[in-house]
Amino acid sequence: MVKIVTDSASDIPAEVAEELGIAIVPLYVRFGSEVYRDRVDLSTEEFYRKLITSRTFPTTAAPGPGDFAEVYDKLAEETEEILSIHVSSKFTVIYEAALRGKEQMKRKCRVEVIDSLSGVMGLGLIVIAAAKEAQKGVNLDQVADVVREAIPKAHVYMCFDTLEYLRRGGRIGRGRALLGSALRVNPILDIKDGEAHPVGRPRSRAKAIEKLYEFARSFTNIRDLAIEHATTPDEAEALAQRLSSIFPRERIYISTVDPVVGAHVGPHVIGVALLER
Amino acid sequence: MQKREKAGSAASWSGQELRGMFTTATSWLEKSAPDIDALNVFPVPDGDCGTNMLLTMRSAVEESYHASDRNASAVAQAMARGALMGARGNSGVILSQIFRGLARGLEGRKSFSGHDFAASLTEGAMLAYKALTRPVEGTILTVAREASFAAQSACAQSEDLLSIMEATVKAARDSVANTPTLLPVLRQAGVVDAGGQGLYVVLEGALHYLKGEVEEMQYRRPQVVPSSIPLVSRIPAVIEKEEPYGYCTEFVLEGRKRLSLERIRKRLDNKGQSLIVVGDENLVHIHIHSFEPGKIINYATSLGTIHQIKVQNMDDQHKDYIEMTKAQAPPADIATVAVVPGEGLAQVFRSLGVTATIPGGQTMNPSTRELLQAVESVPQDRVIILPNNKNIIPTARQVPGLTSKKVEVVPTETIPQGVSALLSFNYDADLETNASMMREASSTVKTVEVTRAVRSTKIGDLKIKRKQAIGFVDGELTSVGDNPEEVLWDVLLGLDTEGSEVITIYYGKNTKRSKAEEIVDRVRQQYPLLEVELISGGQPHYHYIASVE
Repeated sequence: MVKIVTDSASDIPAEVAEELGIAIVPLYVRFGSEVYRDRVDLSTEEFYRKLITSRTFPTTAAPGPGDFAEVYDKLAEETEEILSIHVSSKFTVIYEAALRGKEQMKRKCRVEVIDSLSGVMGLGLIVIAAAKEAQKGVNLDQVADVVREAIPKAHVYMCFDTLEYLRRGGRIGRGRALLGSALRVNPILDIKDGEAHPVGRPRSRAKAIEKLYEFARSFTNIRDLAIEHATTPDEAEALAQRLSSIFPRERIYISTVDPVVGAHVGPHVIGVALLER
Repeated sequence: MQKREKAGSAASWSGQELRGMFTTATSWLEKSAPDIDALNVFPVPDGDCGTNMLLTMRSAVEESYHASDRNASAVAQAMARGALMGARGNSGVILSQIFRGLARGLEGRKSFSGHDFAASLTEGAMLAYKALTRPVEGTILTVAREASFAAQSACAQSEDLLSIMEATVKAARDSVANTPTLLPVLRQAGVVDAGGQGLYVVLEGALHYLKGEVEEMQYRRPQVVPSSIPLVSRIPAVIEKEEPYGYCTEFVLEGRKRLSLERIRKRLDNKGQSLIVVGDENLVHIHIHSFEPGKIINYATSLGTIHQIKVQNMDDQHKDYIEMTKAQAPPADIATVAVVPGEGLAQVFRSLGVTATIPGGQTMNPSTRELLQAVESVPQDRVIILPNNKNIIPTARQVPGLTSKKVEVVPTETIPQGVSALLSFNYDADLETNASMMREASSTVKTVEVTRAVRSTKIGDLKIKRKQAIGFVDGELTSVGDNPEEVLWDVLLGLDTEGSEVITIYYGKNTKRSKAEEIVDRVRQQYPLLEVELISGGQPHYHYIASVE
């Protein structure tokens, strides 16, 4: 069976990854001189506590080619085909690292690396779709085709209470148009062609969440739907309840923004990701 | 940290506190360095002014920890030495002169007063002028001079360092805002002077320390001062220059014998641009933009040993800068032009991404020509005009017929309507869609305005005496009273806030912030579920403009 690999910028809930046999290569997050592997050495809760209380701004690092080679080699013990799907190459060098990692492998195994041009659960939903396809027992090319078709159909809306984290991390892209507001606003960005784009900036959080709701509702052919949040599970749940009118509640994934992504989006982000049919 | 209460004691600030002021100033500047880099167009658009000033400040602060004593004099001397050794770039060197002035002014003093500080700052500004062979106005020099002048004037009113610094920072801010008026290259590039902005941030940081706001600063960052004249957003193409810039050459010269600044200056004067020679007879910091850095260094080594040598190809730096400004260029291909009274409001509009602002409003309606000029001056060929006043709408409607650009007028009648319209701007939508979405957004906000009656009159059941405060909701008179705060309160109480989420109150030029804060507290208590935000609008005529949405 084709094995599916992604990175921890996909925000796939741990239990979903486990159930579908998705291998997640962790990114690194650093507070001062302490280095942690995303979700491995540092739990999500612990991370946000540190993000809010620590005086030092965390920095993040992509896994190296060696990390990928290690994961690929390990999987190669049980498979001949690996599909590695990663966060947009416009945000990080992970995609490059994965390509290098493939070259550094010791074992022989076919590995295909794909740039998802997305991130967070936009990437997550693509990866989940790939894993489900792989479970059907089809070959690598067939799974890769499904992924390439899914990429333009993945959409993400993220609502921020501040773009400061994104700016400091240098991932703001075209979203910089919404920076520096003298009024308190709730900027909303989407990910298009691998980059963050400005969508709008409602004055109140309630209006912003309303916008997320309307965004999801504007699609009639939703295949998968996810809500993600950093530290506000109640808000995410309330949104999921509202969205249950357009998509079965039990099929809506609720995921927590991973520490590495959290370092770039801040502790109060909430977002909706969906994959069209 | 507690608020300092030192109003009564004139000469009570210690060396440690002096260091504290500039340590805080350095961390404040650090937050702003990239913004300042992006403003950098004069003398060379190389985009490193903020970084250079930051490195200079760091060096000054670091050295202050090696001071021989903790008294004010020793700390100031150490900072001056550190600044001179660590100075980088034009603005960094000029900054080092301000520290030198501080060191001179505080020489021999254990502690210092507000008056001492003001005098030292003036000394520093003077030294800064002297450091340049051809001082240019509209730069950090002007800001240093005007700020120190304000400090001196404030001394007449108070001995308290805090109030003197408040006046200084305010003057620095005004001075920065005025730099595009003085220096054409800034006006063309659509920016205020980077070095001036840097100095303002440094002074503001020091003021934060004096006010005991070090904790709060963590959550805030310095704002770039908006220009006092209307500017269009920066267009990278305008500042792209054809001619090469050469090498930025900088080093510290330690003389074998006594050095003469005058002689060095004369000798290097025709060897390049932006020459700065500062220091004393033992140690001199030299900065010059030259095509032949080798000759400069040869000459210097004939006089002594050279240290901290930095030679940078400015054409490379300039390329990086162009890239940087491109990355920051406005992504929208539709421009927005807004008529706005008051600098505070103009700043709000700019922060929300408006392409150009035109000063104007009640009793100061801009002409068709002014609106047309603004429309023509923006790089985009599709433009949305937000008149933000009922009387300006007809003028704005003339513009589409006078230009080859495609222009839509979104007939906003008030500032809150204009803000709502601007906030709903969609970067992906076309001109017509944006105009209609903005129109719709502007209709969802309620506007409250409080002003004073210019004459006695009677409207409906309301009898109004001249100079009484009057309140309007969406242009309808609803309340009369003796003071603006009461009227605002009365108007807000009368509003139906069902379904509203945010109240924004912009207080005017002639309204005290403390009064506005009081009323905001009352509003918050009355409406605990609403978000209430207070903004300095600086608008004339209207004590308060509020939006309820």
